Amino acid sequence: MTENPNTTRKTPAAKVGPAAVMTALFFVASVGGWEIFWRGEQFRPSVRNSVGLWAMTRARVETEGNSVTTMIGSSRTLFDFNLESWEDETGQVPIQLALEGTSPVPFLSDLANDSAFSSLLVVGVVPPLFFFPGGDFRLEALEHYYSETPAQWLAQRISMPFEKVLAFYHFDTALPTVLKRQTWWPTREGVEFAPRDVRKLVDLRKTRQGDMWLRVDKDTAYAELAQSIWLDIIERPPPPIPPEVARAGLDTLMMTVASHVEAIRSRGGEVVFVRLPSRDRFREIENIATPRVPFWDRLLVETNAVGIHFEDFEELQNVSIPEWSHISSRDTYEFTRHLIDILRNEFEARGIQRAELYR
Amino acid sequence: MLFNSLTFVAFFAVVLALHYAPFGWRQKKVNLLVASYLFYAAWNPPFVVLLWISTLVDWFVAKKIHAETRIARRRALLVLSLAVNLGILGYFKYGGFLFENWAALMASLGVTYQAPSWNIILPVGISFYTFQTMAYSLDVYLRRAEPTKSFLDFALFVTFFPQLVAGPIVRPTHLVPQFETPHTANRQQLFWGLFLVTLGLFEKIVVADGFLAPAANMVYGSNDSLSFLDAWLGTLAFSGQIFSDFAGYSTTAIGVALCLGFSLPENFRFPYAAMGFSDFWRRWHISLSTWLRDYLYIPLGGNKKGPGRTYVNLMVTMLLGGLWHGASWTFVVWGGLHGLYLAVERFATRAFAGARVATTTVFKVSLALLTYFLVNLTWVFFRAQEFSSAWLMIKSMFGLSPDGKKLLPTVFVFEVTVTIAVMLLVHWKMRDRTLEDAVDSVPSWLFAVVWGVMLFAVVITQGSGSAFIYFQF
Repeated sequence: MTENPNTTRKTPAAKVGPAAVMTALFFVASVGGWEIFWRGEQFRPSVRNSVGLWAMTRARVETEGNSVTTMIGSSRTLFDFNLESWEDETGQVPIQLALEGTSPVPFLSDLANDSAFSSLLVVGVVPPLFFFPGGDFRLEALEHYYSETPAQWLAQRISMPFEKVLAFYHFDTALPTVLKRQTWWPTREGVEFAPRDVRKLVDLRKTRQGDMWLRVDKDTAYAELAQSIWLDIIERPPPPIPPEVARAGLDTLMMTVASHVEAIRSRGGEVVFVRLPSRDRFREIENIATPRVPFWDRLLVETNAVGIHFEDFEELQNVSIPEWSHISSRDTYEFTRHLIDILRNEFEARGIQRAELYR
Repeated sequence: MLFNSLTFVAFFAVVLALHYAPFGWRQKKVNLLVASYLFYAAWNPPFVVLLWISTLVDWFVAKKIHAETRIARRRALLVLSLAVNLGILGYFKYGGFLFENWAALMASLGVTYQAPSWNIILPVGISFYTFQTMAYSLDVYLRRAEPTKSFLDFALFVTFFPQLVAGPIVRPTHLVPQFETPHTANRQQLFWGLFLVTLGLFEKIVVADGFLAPAANMVYGSNDSLSFLDAWLGTLAFSGQIFSDFAGYSTTAIGVALCLGFSLPENFRFPYAAMGFSDFWRRWHISLSTWLRDYLYIPLGGNKKGPGRTYVNLMVTMLLGGLWHGASWTFVVWGGLHGLYLAVERFATRAFAGARVATTTVFKVSLALLTYFLVNLTWVFFRAQEFSSAWLMIKSMFGLSPDGKKLLPTVFVFEVTVTIAVMLLVHWKMRDRTLEDAVDSVPSWLFAVVWGVMLFAVVITQGSGSAFIYFQF
């Protein structure tokens, strides 16, 4: 075939090169300015809490799932456990699989069905997320793990070096997110109330260790903003579910969880449930919506699992919780150490010694 | 592999480096071919086999067709090529649809038939590369082109990564000759290619995914009757999203190819400034509309067999064009509406030929607005998952849901209104111009600022890494 001269692509008559150089300069200046702006807002480079990072962490189960403690749960599990403290106490860096705003039950099911997992599983329980349907905010991480393409696998690894040096390379600073979160937008009359987005609360490390963002800890106004957003969420009336449907749902949940715990136990693993601290209005509403006896206590009875409720241990209550729901990073090291001590005691009381909890 | 991913940035850097390294032309083509297979395999490695099947079948069949003089044998060979290509397409894309409809048909006749479950992954871009390879066999059969002499060139034509998964659908006569002689970009082409890549990514990441998709998803994710404003904003958002997503892909593909020294054909020409539907289809997904014209409409007889047959041909072409997009009756209705619009336009053009009013500005603007309005109605069927939700949306858009729900927060109302207004203005201003002419008409510094702002916006929007909509077709 001969080449058709009409297929030659047209370019502008004027030279594009000089404009490209100017573009490059403009780009460097604008991105530099953007980075400086966000650092001024106290953002620091941190690992993005992406599904790719979660998949990397989940992959550890396939090689270390027979010996290393694994954690699932919601944001409290992600923020409150200090993995360094855990490593200092036990010699192991736990596999941190908790995801904010998400029920751990599907992840419990995933691990129960994975024969590679036969170790200690710590399940963080935030009652409204654990006992009621709807806690699926980051559930896509699980699907991503099983359907991750080679391109996505590689993209995660290319992304991480940039995450370590750029403060603006963060989900919270993406342009549409920033626009959406501005307070100047008037409320549109007639639109059903929707809770505001939860703002940045944490900096993440490669191990998925979450450290409370310094601003939440130090800036009272910001902590109050976070509290007011929690109120948006927790004070919403629950969806109208007939009591018998809710009861049946809870019964099914308890049976499902118990069967998953049994499956893990049958392979030599063990499951512990941990109710992490909350305070003030958050704690009040949790206790009203999910009273301890029919929910938490029943969970422990049905699963015959070790359960640690922060209200039962003085040493787990002596922590700072600036925005009512997560422990300040200053206190997580000691908190985790106390928790490991309590876990050892609880297991020993049952005549069990879990190797994962000792050096 | 997605253009809007860091993986692609790294991949493209390596491909460019290899293409400008001191290798011979044959080696460079081998590099491009291997890169193209990697590009496809990065999504799902086993499906590369489908590319190999298409390549091998069409390579050998086209050679045989060319050598064969007996009409019946030529026809049989063509049928073999079409059967393999359409068979693969049918199996992966339409199998479940056919079984479901067969079951429905049987049920209507009182026969109980349980359709088998059809949980098959659709190979990305299968409709695009199937049409591209079919064009090769058809061109050889129709004696519009001779078979390619080099298997390497042909394999690269089937697989060339910039346009492999979402077009433009390139004809062999356009691309194969470019592989026969060494091609690299000069400095002007390289920079222009990089600009086109920036523009394409800006359309996809910032406009489609950043500003329009959230509103469109919110509106079309609702199962309620909506207020007039919400229904329209959601549909306008989708009209902008689908354009920016798809034109963004095409523009990036054209830019990537140009950086390597290759030319790909234009796929979009500011379609929302179209005056009428034949004009729209000269501006929207041009490579598909010309493919359907050349390989379906004209072989059916085109407009050469009388007015009645012309209308039938138009409708058949557009119905199949709709079905090409997806295995769902909603896509067929989308195509059918376009067929109907084209038929009505053809009738009106003949009936009112020479009318003076047609040359006035008021008429032209009105026609453009009417076209845009009607295009938006078709997008409802394209976007809605099922007819019930499409009807609900149409009712809301015609103000027939007085108690319709208000859904969109102010920020989305603002984003959609501004983005669509700017988009329509740009399309209108650029209606009879090319991008290259527009760039020549502004000072260099202004062009640099616009380019820089787009690049900056791409980076700070960050992107969700979502796939292009047309990958599913």
